[in-house]
Amino acid sequence: MTEFYVRELDPQHTKLHLKTLQTPFGERNVYDSVSFCNRCASCQQACPTYCLTAEETFSPRGRNQAVRLVTEGKINLNKNRLLLEKMVNSCLLCGRCTQSCAGKIPTAQHMLEMRRALGKRALPRLLQGLLECRAKKPRLFARVVNLGMWLRSWGVLYVGRKLGLARLPGLSWISYADDILPRGTWRKEQKSWRSQLAASPEKPTLVYMPSLEAEFFTPSLAERVLQLAQAKHRVQVWSNTSAGLFEYVYGDLRQSRKSLRALIQRWERNGALPLLTDSIDVYIFLQQAPQLFAQWPKWKDKTSRLAGKIRFVTDVMPKKASSSAQGKARLDLGSLFTREGEPFESARKILRTQFKKNFVECLYKDADAPAFGYSFVRHNMGQRVLMDAVRSAARTQTGTVFTLSGLSALELNFYLKQFYPYAKADHLARLNG
Amino acid sequence: MKIPASVLTQLKKIAGEDRVLTDDVSLSLYAYDCSLSRTRPDALINVARAQDVAPILRVLYQHHIPFVPRASATNHAGSCAALNGGVILNLAGLNRILQINTQEGYAVAEACAITGDLQDRLAPLGFFYAPDPASERVSTLGGNLAQNASGARCMKYGGTIDHVLEADFVLPDGKEIHFSREQLGPDWIGLLAGSEGTLGVITRVKVRILPAAKHIKTFLVTFPSLAASVQTVSDLAAQGIIPRCVEAMDCVTTRAVEEFAHAGYPLDAQALLILELDGSPSQIAEQEKRLEEICLANGAQKFIPAKTEAERQKLWFGRRAAYAAMARLAPNVMVGDGTVPRSELPRALGKVRRILDENHIFASLLFHAGDGNFHPQIVFDERNKLETVRVTRALKEILQACVDCGGTVSGEHGVGVEKRAVMAYQYDKQTLDLFSAIKRAADPQNLANPLKLLPIDYAEKARVLPAPSEKVQRLAKEISSRRASHLPCTVLGLNTRLKTHAKQGISSKDLRQIVEIDKTNYTATAEAGVRVKDLLAALKKENVFCALPSDAGTLGGAFCSGCVPGFYPHVLGVEALLPDGSFVRYGGKLMKNAAGYHLTRLFAGSQGTLGLVTQLTFKIFATPVPAARKEAFALAQENAWWRALKEQLDPERLFAPLAGENHD
Repeated sequence: MTEFYVRELDPQHTKLHLKTLQTPFGERNVYDSVSFCNRCASCQQACPTYCLTAEETFSPRGRNQAVRLVTEGKINLNKNRLLLEKMVNSCLLCGRCTQSCAGKIPTAQHMLEMRRALGKRALPRLLQGLLECRAKKPRLFARVVNLGMWLRSWGVLYVGRKLGLARLPGLSWISYADDILPRGTWRKEQKSWRSQLAASPEKPTLVYMPSLEAEFFTPSLAERVLQLAQAKHRVQVWSNTSAGLFEYVYGDLRQSRKSLRALIQRWERNGALPLLTDSIDVYIFLQQAPQLFAQWPKWKDKTSRLAGKIRFVTDVMPKKASSSAQGKARLDLGSLFTREGEPFESARKILRTQFKKNFVECLYKDADAPAFGYSFVRHNMGQRVLMDAVRSAARTQTGTVFTLSGLSALELNFYLKQFYPYAKADHLARLNG
Repeated sequence: MKIPASVLTQLKKIAGEDRVLTDDVSLSLYAYDCSLSRTRPDALINVARAQDVAPILRVLYQHHIPFVPRASATNHAGSCAALNGGVILNLAGLNRILQINTQEGYAVAEACAITGDLQDRLAPLGFFYAPDPASERVSTLGGNLAQNASGARCMKYGGTIDHVLEADFVLPDGKEIHFSREQLGPDWIGLLAGSEGTLGVITRVKVRILPAAKHIKTFLVTFPSLAASVQTVSDLAAQGIIPRCVEAMDCVTTRAVEEFAHAGYPLDAQALLILELDGSPSQIAEQEKRLEEICLANGAQKFIPAKTEAERQKLWFGRRAAYAAMARLAPNVMVGDGTVPRSELPRALGKVRRILDENHIFASLLFHAGDGNFHPQIVFDERNKLETVRVTRALKEILQACVDCGGTVSGEHGVGVEKRAVMAYQYDKQTLDLFSAIKRAADPQNLANPLKLLPIDYAEKARVLPAPSEKVQRLAKEISSRRASHLPCTVLGLNTRLKTHAKQGISSKDLRQIVEIDKTNYTATAEAGVRVKDLLAALKKENVFCALPSDAGTLGGAFCSGCVPGFYPHVLGVEALLPDGSFVRYGGKLMKNAAGYHLTRLFAGSQGTLGLVTQLTFKIFATPVPAARKEAFALAQENAWWRALKEQLDPERLFAPLAGENHD
């Protein structure tokens, strides 16, 4: 592809963009990568937003062609900003299209590149600010979130919602967060989790980096993962640590690189131990992270080494079946960027061993919960995708839907409770736990 | 052209305010399909309800605005590009499966229901829908009909054309017509198949579903040459073994697949076949034995039956990955779909390989060997203009080579815009004129998907074919002279069905020759005046069989009277004289033909209203086949389209009038 003039999506701000994308067929710049889409449409029916709208504008093929046309100057970015934002922000970044694509086109990465070129934040301003704060001022972030959760546990949020405060512009996400977060046991769980944090082992063999949702909203999940890891390892916990994923998806790529560098330095200082995460999104992001440093070979090497040491909960879960599992179960593959790879296979294997014939294989078009806070970006679309996921659970009469990230479990559970209470959703780590 | 604001307002009232779009982004994203063609429309309508289609078309007709119906836009021929601007009708939202009736064996769905979704729904019920285009996961039932798509199972079960029972259709002027295979008269659904949206919009289909085979066995056979593999397929047909699927690939494809999908294909073979048998276990066992013998007789290196379902799936995984294996090599994959008579496959493939080598093009060859349909998969980068020119030139040469081998430029992908120029290489002027007349009859304003299918200014470029036989020329002269004197031209065979007393008929009594019984391709060609009894006797003498019931009439009578509709899928080629005395020919020994409108289906059951059929080519079999059901003769009911066709072809109404009651 080198014989062509390499076009840039956003030539004025190259540092805000990835220089090359990591694809199964090697590194490609965005223009090359998007040009590999030959418009065969194999991806269309895999895309949840296309299945809902039946419009090319909300399809992977349409999205890839839009990036290509903008890069080639055939669509003016500034004149069509509003529509392009609508198109980009509607993408779930789930990677189902990549899975069904013969050329493995990374549409989700193209959408992130376009989002960066548009320079627009997709999240409500307050939520954006709060989450940006996690990388820059982690202690302040922890205090704010814990205060919020504490107030919620005393019913302050309930009163606020009754008074209509959540209906104010830019605050509707608080209602949704309040809806999906579990009630009742948070203070007890938080206390127990903190006691675990206090104890740090000597000569650790594994580092556990709990995800934001596990640590702050469902501490029992973090505790369960820690318990699983401790069965085989001496585990050190890195509390409230940002890997740069939030900035990668919703914010500034430079900040994402900064967070990642900080993580790598800390990881190297601590003996480059295997790093465990309970979020499939973080796992995949760190696996693909070397592409963030294409211009900096030294950092790229370091990131590659880190990527080799990333572990997912499936690596610490017992492989033998336990007798406690009952009913039918299925695996929700909701994740960022891809649905293929070792953790997905391991998760499937674990559930198949456990549930045998009661493990429900998903059909090609079965919906998964949208990953990484999509419902906060496009609530209407997110709701419809989640309803589809509920429908497929109901169609297969599934009793438990196991997810690979805590947030997906929370969101899915909220909808299951309302529309198909026979089933519940839970993180895979809680299997038999 | 710019669409006036007042028209857009009218369209918005029908389709919904937010469903009529004219913004840059939307229009750019509806400018393409899977081909290289790219043209922006002037507006886009996302159709949400089938009942909106007719009023939308009425508004467009009133204001002379062209439109292009669009489903999943997976075609490789540029059928969905709005060449004249106008409106794209995005029908993808009409995707509901409305009914599945396993008792009576049909499913009803909106036009853009996904074929793969229907298969998913049918599988747990123990049924399947026979057409299986490679794109079935994304392509739609209506789109498949509009392109006459087919796939690996086509050899045994036929293409989409043979599996649609009813269709709701909207003509470009907004008139709604319901077509059914129960109706007498021309096979309208057959005529819609492969029309690529140039005749109107399909909004709903009723398709035939079949009980799934309980026992299937798949084999992988390797050969030292492509020719040996193709010969094997011919021998199989000759022995009366019709496998459920016969797929072949050359060594370039095999290597690409192995690198990508690790399907376990041997790399030392020049060609391999994937064969699949279905039926009862005893039938399969018996056929397997003969299959192995035939393969080994043709020099097969390895004959590997899939022992388990997992092994079978692995073999198919490799075949399905053939496109993907090439798609990862370069940004674009151009897939040709020339089709030739089965016996011509080795010669055609040799020519294709030479053309590819001469043009320094990297391509793999993949083919549905049972149908003589091959897919050269050419990888290139459309951003490299020189390479793109080379590739398109080579593809044109390949298609011309197919025609030179007695084949067609398209077996299943359609013509669209990318192959319309080579249509003039395949057909003569008279046949192209007939295609134009069919288009004009349905769409006098040329609004439905304009500039597709037919070559532009073909009068001088059209192929010059040898003159028909003297007998046919004499009949043509007679028709012309009667026309000059305004005398009626009632078509008569043996007058067994019509029982007319008209003395001014055009008789096919001189057309009594059985032209050819081809036991290589398993086709027979006979003139229309041949008595069916004589034909069956001649076939029996050669130890071959056909699906015609024994009948007192002629071959042409059996075909055109509408009494044996079950015989239509067996007819591969037709030659006919039109009311203006021109001679047209379509098809031949080809198992598939998606180039142009299906003229065999136009004349089938036309009851002498549109011309005189002079010759037919049809399938024959090595073993006895059940005869198609014979129905009592009745005059067909006319409809708006038939009337328009009659007006185009026989404005003076010298041939048989449309006698049935009005049935729109």
